[in-house]
Amino acid sequence: MFGFPPRVTAYTSSVRGVAPRPDEEVPDTRSPARFLLWTVGRQLPQVAIMWLVCVLWLLPGMLAPLFLGRAIDEGVRAQDMGRTLLWCGLLTITILISVTADAIQIGAEVANWLIAMFRMMKLVARKVAQLGHVITRRVPPGEMLSIASGDADTIGATAHTAARVLSALTSFAVVVMLVLSESVRLGLIVLIASPIIVVGAAPILKPVQKAQLAERERSSKLTGMAVDIVAGLRILRGIGGERTFGDNYAKQSQRVREAGVRVGTWWAAVDSSAVLLSGVLLVLLTWAGASEMIAGRLSVGQLVSFFGYAVFLLNPFWLLFEGAQRWIAGLVSADKTIGLLRHRPPWAAANPDPSRRQPQGTPTGSGHDDFLVDTATGFTAAQGQFTIIVSADPDEAAKLADRLGRYLPSTQEAEEDDEEPEGSKAAREHRRKKAERRARIAAADETHAEAPWGVTLAGVDLTDMPLDEVRRRIAVSDASPGVFAGTLREALDPTGTHDRDEAELALYTVSADDVWDSLPDGWQSVIDERGRGLSGGQRQRLVLARMLLSAPEVAVLVEPTSAVDAHTEARIAARLPGYRKGLTTIATTVSPLWLRQADKVALLDEGRIVAEGTHSDLLATNPAYRAVVTRGFDVPSDSPVSDTKAGS
Amino acid sequence: MAEMFPGSASTWDGAPRTSQVDSRLTSPIAGSLLARLREFVSRHRMRRAHADEVYTRSRNPKRGLPVADAPAVYAFTGRMLKSRKGLIAAMLIANGGAAVAGLIAPLLLSALIDDLTSGETEAAMLAQVNRVVLIVLIITIAQAVLQLVARRASAVLGHGMLAEAREDVIRWVLKLPLSRVESASTGDLVTRVTRDVGSMAGAVRWALPRFVITGMTLLFTMVALFVNSWLLALPLLFTGILLWIAMRRYLRWGPKGYIAEGHTYSRINSTLTETVEGARTVEAIRLGDTRVALTDDDIEAAAQAETYTLSLRSELFFITGLAHRLPLVFAVIIGTIGYGADLVTLGQITAATLYLQQLVNPIEMMIMVVNQLQVGVASTSRLIGISSVPPDRESDPDAAPVDGHLVAKDLRFAYREGHDVLHDVSLDLRPGERLAMVGPSGGGKSTLGRLLAGINGPREGVVEVGGVDVMRLPLERLRTEVALVTQEHHVFVGTIRDNIVLAREDSTDDAAVWRALSTVAAAEWVHKLPDGIDTMIGSSNYSLTPAQAQQIALARLVIADPHTLVLDEATSLIDPTTARHVEGAMNALLTGRTVVAIAHRLHTAHDADRIAVVEDGRIVELGSHADLMAAAGEYARLWQAWRS
Repeated sequence: MFGFPPRVTAYTSSVRGVAPRPDEEVPDTRSPARFLLWTVGRQLPQVAIMWLVCVLWLLPGMLAPLFLGRAIDEGVRAQDMGRTLLWCGLLTITILISVTADAIQIGAEVANWLIAMFRMMKLVARKVAQLGHVITRRVPPGEMLSIASGDADTIGATAHTAARVLSALTSFAVVVMLVLSESVRLGLIVLIASPIIVVGAAPILKPVQKAQLAERERSSKLTGMAVDIVAGLRILRGIGGERTFGDNYAKQSQRVREAGVRVGTWWAAVDSSAVLLSGVLLVLLTWAGASEMIAGRLSVGQLVSFFGYAVFLLNPFWLLFEGAQRWIAGLVSADKTIGLLRHRPPWAAANPDPSRRQPQGTPTGSGHDDFLVDTATGFTAAQGQFTIIVSADPDEAAKLADRLGRYLPSTQEAEEDDEEPEGSKAAREHRRKKAERRARIAAADETHAEAPWGVTLAGVDLTDMPLDEVRRRIAVSDASPGVFAGTLREALDPTGTHDRDEAELALYTVSADDVWDSLPDGWQSVIDERGRGLSGGQRQRLVLARMLLSAPEVAVLVEPTSAVDAHTEARIAARLPGYRKGLTTIATTVSPLWLRQADKVALLDEGRIVAEGTHSDLLATNPAYRAVVTRGFDVPSDSPVSDTKAGS
Repeated sequence: MAEMFPGSASTWDGAPRTSQVDSRLTSPIAGSLLARLREFVSRHRMRRAHADEVYTRSRNPKRGLPVADAPAVYAFTGRMLKSRKGLIAAMLIANGGAAVAGLIAPLLLSALIDDLTSGETEAAMLAQVNRVVLIVLIITIAQAVLQLVARRASAVLGHGMLAEAREDVIRWVLKLPLSRVESASTGDLVTRVTRDVGSMAGAVRWALPRFVITGMTLLFTMVALFVNSWLLALPLLFTGILLWIAMRRYLRWGPKGYIAEGHTYSRINSTLTETVEGARTVEAIRLGDTRVALTDDDIEAAAQAETYTLSLRSELFFITGLAHRLPLVFAVIIGTIGYGADLVTLGQITAATLYLQQLVNPIEMMIMVVNQLQVGVASTSRLIGISSVPPDRESDPDAAPVDGHLVAKDLRFAYREGHDVLHDVSLDLRPGERLAMVGPSGGGKSTLGRLLAGINGPREGVVEVGGVDVMRLPLERLRTEVALVTQEHHVFVGTIRDNIVLAREDSTDDAAVWRALSTVAAAEWVHKLPDGIDTMIGSSNYSLTPAQAQQIALARLVIADPHTLVLDEATSLIDPTTARHVEGAMNALLTGRTVVAIAHRLHTAHDADRIAVVEDGRIVELGSHADLMAAAGEYARLWQAWRS
């Protein structure tokens, strides 16, 4: 009924410089204020409904004092049951309208909140999907998640307050007219005193906010400590340290308690000053009203009405006050949000000129060594064959794998999940610096992405190929690939496009019998977030099976079995080439169990391919190669449990 | 069809991933007003059924820790309240005073109105006005002061109780049995120490004091209404009946609705977390659209849950709105009759209308308070549940191993009843030897390692160290005998010293910490830090490189100084680029200790004194590298394959 969740159509293109489609929305990320206005603008119908029902809901507040006063004057005092019933009837009608409007108002209020909040969450999800690995190089994951959970909520609250402020202004105007038409003198007292009361209470709210901020900070630190204890509980119970960290927690808990009591005390001050100020207003009105009555200018009923107005008028002022605070909080959140959303893909649209897609030089095809070529390292791979990259430095091999898949290299300027300094000025400065740093990375990315990539697939440079095509044809596993929560079937076949035989074959190829046996419900077994509950080796094999099942034309596997035991590794290495028959496979590893299976092995050293051949040839003829792959045999006896394959 | 894995065919679901939300709930509503209303009601029922299902499931988790019952929660709360009697008394007295003061002003004002309509002289009336106004002003000030005292007392009470409760929770967590900690996923516990502590906080620090305060205000206002005029108080009956009906309905469905709603939000969070943290994977396997669709579906589910609780709230506020606003109308009608019959005065009518309007806020507050208390009780019962996990061992404080000789005799072990994963395994570790365990995944290597380290007790058989059953050793003692080292190297939020002294936290001085750091070759970089071993690390503090984190983890073991170490994939996740540093530290740690290494790499096995090949829950081969090569079994075959 209220249109939530909203449909979101932004960020559909994975390259920059493409005109938005007619139905695509373009968030206005030029400034925080513009972004908030854009957000509110996207839900104007809901804001309008909210305004309407808010006015209706306020009706009894505005009219009830009037009707009540009349009922007392014309009905009770005059002993006219007819008039009593007339005014009471009107009172009942306003109450019914108001109560109905109240029920709808709650809906409209929540709707405005949720539409804005859900829109933010959807925008974040789309932005991350649009930019992929590019965004993780610029914005830390923690920040993206806090935008989706915390800032989305704040922006939702801002949108909903915008609607409430509109209705508060309306009701205020109506009551002002009513009050002045009854008694100018009392009316003026009400009109002047009500804002003074609200504004008078405002200074107390500032320390409240400060204290609340301090409490929130301390308390989120406390929650962090609890999570930390749980995450490291295995160590705390296994090795010890319960007292140290239990005491640390208790100490922080007491600091939170102190901050909490401080907030509570300030709130007590706010509450009691509200009692005091509205009490003073009541006294003032009584005194003025009684004088007016004695002078015969005011009736009892009218005085009762004025009591009602005075109480009612406090509401719109509180709303305005709240609205201003929400807007400020909204601006801060909007600033953080556009810090994520304003990033655009670094990739330019692929050159549509077909001549650039023509393979240069000799035609390439099955068996030809120049199917996949990297000019920077001199690495080549033949179509349909299994090539392994060996390097003494696993990082170097991983970098080459990234190049082959057109992934930007990892950044020099590592972004940290840094905390904002205290004080709004310092925080603003901090945010500005952060934005500059990110803009620098973004500019460098775009330069990098525009230039010829230096890797050709069937003679075509990857820059001249649409990014989607690159991703479809060349799949690169990364060093720590993720398993996503879902069923076992979804973990292997996330798009649901494969049949059971194919999936079984993939699972068999990665020798995952133990994974299958440990899961009680077969394909429907639930895999927890990030594959929690599975061992590192099991996760690694599921990820490998997922890659195999998707059957990319070129698969680049980085250390595919680094967490798997030798028995299992031997089985996988023996089965994989058969599974990938006819497709191009590249792996980085130094394990002889794998190397024996390769059609070709390439030795990478100092950024260049220095030797190529089969494993047995290289082992026999190349001392440098032998040194890398047999390192495990000859470890000095003082290093008995060096478990890494590629240790020093 | 043939299947390669048992049960594959029957669990393979041909349909692709389906939405969590029933499509009947999201299709547009059309037709006449009546048809729409009927459709809305039927959808409301579907949402209710769903919320109840989620609630029931959350009460009886398949995995995870137990949940306590409501009486345990009341007993726990009662204990905390008992130790704070003085504070509670102060709060009640101050609050009672404020409530009474709040009720006197309307009485005086209405009396004044009666005076004004009684036809005295103008001067006398003005004097009377001034007198009453002055009294009311003083009373208002008194009320404000009393309120300040009451609220402050309630803040002290609420936050004090909350701090005590959450510290208790962490104490319980830190006492969880070792075997439970090792096997359980952390998800449930994380939810408990974050979300459940959060809702307990809401209840304890806000709702509980408010319940008392608002309850008193309500009671006093009603008494005042009756004292003012019992006739004009009659509309309260109407209020009472309606409120009772509305609250009963709301409290029956509401909490379940909110718990279901909370679940939808944690689902949004976990899906988004996975997308963000796995952004590269999402891009690499072209899952972008799928992940976006998943988030959209999560949000749709949250929207449905919100719609449901929204309907509940709308209904509640509609009825309570009538309940506390219509009595005003009744009071005026009764007043008209009563005034004519000389049963009530104008002043009493005025006072009654004022009191009735004063009831509105406390009643609304009471509804919110009761709601919050319900959620709080549910969360607190989950927290107290942590303390009800039974211990996994009965330790004997006098147990004293005579030496560091570790022997396993005829071990059998099952995680699930009837599914033994170890069959009659015996192993005699020679002190100081290096034993490598190899074998395929799922063969039982890790389980055997856990039994040797005293994490789990065997179903049959015994693991003894120096002649004493490891399961009878107090935990503090066990840690200094045997340690299990895994690939995990968690850095805690705290100082470097805090992170290292774990096993002997009460008896380790700074010199020992520095010695441990030197042993693992970490003293140099720690020296360079501004605060040395007092530098805060973990989370957002000084961030360590992976190699430094591993050195810290190893320094912990140097302090613990056990004679036997069980290494489970301990180094398989060492970042290869840092391996040089850490391997040296590792070797320093291992020198002079008995080591059982569960190994992935064959060269590890090759260098060990003895190798145990574990397959299908049995040790199938045991001996030195040369022995096993001579035996020409499974190990020899694998070694040949690797070597050639």
